Amino acid sequence: MEQKIAISIDDLTVAYNYKPVLWDIDLQIPEGVLMAIVGPNGAGKSTLLKSVLDIIKPLAGSVTVYGKPYKKQRHLVAYVPQKGSVDWDFPTTALDVVMMGTYGALGWIKRPGQAQKKQALEALEKVGMLPFQNRQISQLSGGQQQRIFLARALVQNAAIYFMDEPFQGVDATTEKAIIQILKELRKAGKTVIVVHHDLQTVPEYFDWVTFLNVKKIATGPVAQIFNDDNLTKTYGINYKTSIVE
Amino acid sequence: MSNAQIEIQLILSLVAVACALPGVFLVLRKMALISDAISHSILPGIVVGFFITHDLASPLLILMATLTGVLTVVLVEYIQKTGLVKEDTAIGLVFPSLFSLGVILIARNAGDVHLDVDAVLLGEVAFAPFDRWMYNGMDMGPKSLWMMGGILTMTITLLSLFYKELKVATFDAGLAASLGFAPMAIHYGLMTVSSVTTVGAFDAIGAILVVAFMIVPAACVYLLTNNLKKLLIFSSLLGIFASISGYWLAHAMDTSIAGTIATVLGLIFFLVYLFAPNRGYISQWYKEKQQKTEVALLVFLLHLANHEDEMERNSNHLQEHINWSHQLARKVLKLANQNNMIEIENEIISLTPKGLEFTEQAISYITDNKNSELEGIKQNYFLFRG
Repeated sequence: MEQKIAISIDDLTVAYNYKPVLWDIDLQIPEGVLMAIVGPNGAGKSTLLKSVLDIIKPLAGSVTVYGKPYKKQRHLVAYVPQKGSVDWDFPTTALDVVMMGTYGALGWIKRPGQAQKKQALEALEKVGMLPFQNRQISQLSGGQQQRIFLARALVQNAAIYFMDEPFQGVDATTEKAIIQILKELRKAGKTVIVVHHDLQTVPEYFDWVTFLNVKKIATGPVAQIFNDDNLTKTYGINYKTSIVE
Repeated sequence: MSNAQIEIQLILSLVAVACALPGVFLVLRKMALISDAISHSILPGIVVGFFITHDLASPLLILMATLTGVLTVVLVEYIQKTGLVKEDTAIGLVFPSLFSLGVILIARNAGDVHLDVDAVLLGEVAFAPFDRWMYNGMDMGPKSLWMMGGILTMTITLLSLFYKELKVATFDAGLAASLGFAPMAIHYGLMTVSSVTTVGAFDAIGAILVVAFMIVPAACVYLLTNNLKKLLIFSSLLGIFASISGYWLAHAMDTSIAGTIATVLGLIFFLVYLFAPNRGYISQWYKEKQQKTEVALLVFLLHLANHEDEMERNSNHLQEHINWSHQLARKVLKLANQNNMIEIENEIISLTPKGLEFTEQAISYITDNKNSELEGIKQNYFLFRG
């Protein structure tokens, strides 16, 4: 049985001030995988997400979501940016941040109402943050803030989830809770793409992996391609370690 | 109160609200300095507009000056994008150049232009009631009252239409972009509103007070609330309060109205900065002091838990071992005793079961960073609270 392609990236090149950050990336992401994007700092992992999401304009190449440009498929995609990319002193509550996930479906001008609030509360419950719904977001711990971000993506009820380092600066309990939810999303047939830093947990958490360092090094099932050879090619250090069980 | 006095206070209040609303978003976007830049760099736009129209309230002049304001933002961003200078430097490069251009234009054409730099910077709201709008021979009231009323109506309409979009683009531009809410368009929309407001207000109240009205109320209320709607409402009310109290203070002291209002705003900020609960200076200072004592207490309890040796636990030799001042040692000892975390027998201190439990919980929190446990500790003990 041929697997459907959720995201197709063709000859994508992205540059900041004419310095290429991503070079000629070709990548097909099959539907229903839980995929890690790994690579050293400055490898262009976040940039790859942002160019798929039309936040950054590429220098060359194209991206399609289920065969169509992203602009026509926004409703199919949810995005969790890096936690550090927003100002957590912003005057708002946990519930309000999760409600922002409903804005896309509402479109311009229309205001969220009771239906949107109900969806947001359900998502908060899923991530175990219901008791904190009225808390100001700066009063939440790093792990709680990340759960709020995840809840905001869940509210979008998308087919594809992009997450930029969701495990950065979170406690062990939150990490387990988040990966549990991501695995449930995959079970429900969703495609989940995660920028990930902790190589040790890749085999345990993910079934698909992409090695990236400005160029694409390799992509495929974790069981087949997560090995010393690809790690060495990506990180440039000899990986003769025992991190892969 | 005379009619003119009522009109002046009305104009001031309209300007205050018209500035406070975009000001809140400028402060939240860490762009407060941009309002300063715009307020100065609109000068050449005003001068050229005035050459053409000879009327400071003409829509064409407002349009030209607003474009200069938006041009400032574009130039700042362009220079910044080259990566050669940082944003604050880019602002510092752009607005003095544009402002100077305006100054030169005024100086070269002093004969034709009834405009001077002082009036642009400081304004004179006391004269605003004299410049009236006559329609078919009927007196419709001061021109600036109408102009600011119009600008405020536009701001409130845009804000209520695009509140959701403005909020998400300000909090999380990445999400806004992925949802299709064009954060750049919203950004330039906000810049245009800020420019129009500055242009409309400068004639009546001067560029400096425009900056004060945009930034200070938002900065004050930001320290007092965690709710964006309240931030908008109370910033507006604070602007009105400062306008009216500043007006009467200036009246009593027979001095500049704009100057007095800006000073009143500054004083209010100073008070809020000192006394705001949670985020104010005094409250922060108290919290830090409290935390220092709590950490000292924890160090002390750890010391007790780690040492079996009675010499190490003698209350009289405590300061030598932990290397604390006598004062701090006494304070911590008293605190631990008050909370029944230690008991002292023959000058030998030992942990009570409660003290031991607390120490273990606190250590496990610090080493594991498990937030679920932290919640429990917060409830049971005062340490780590807040």
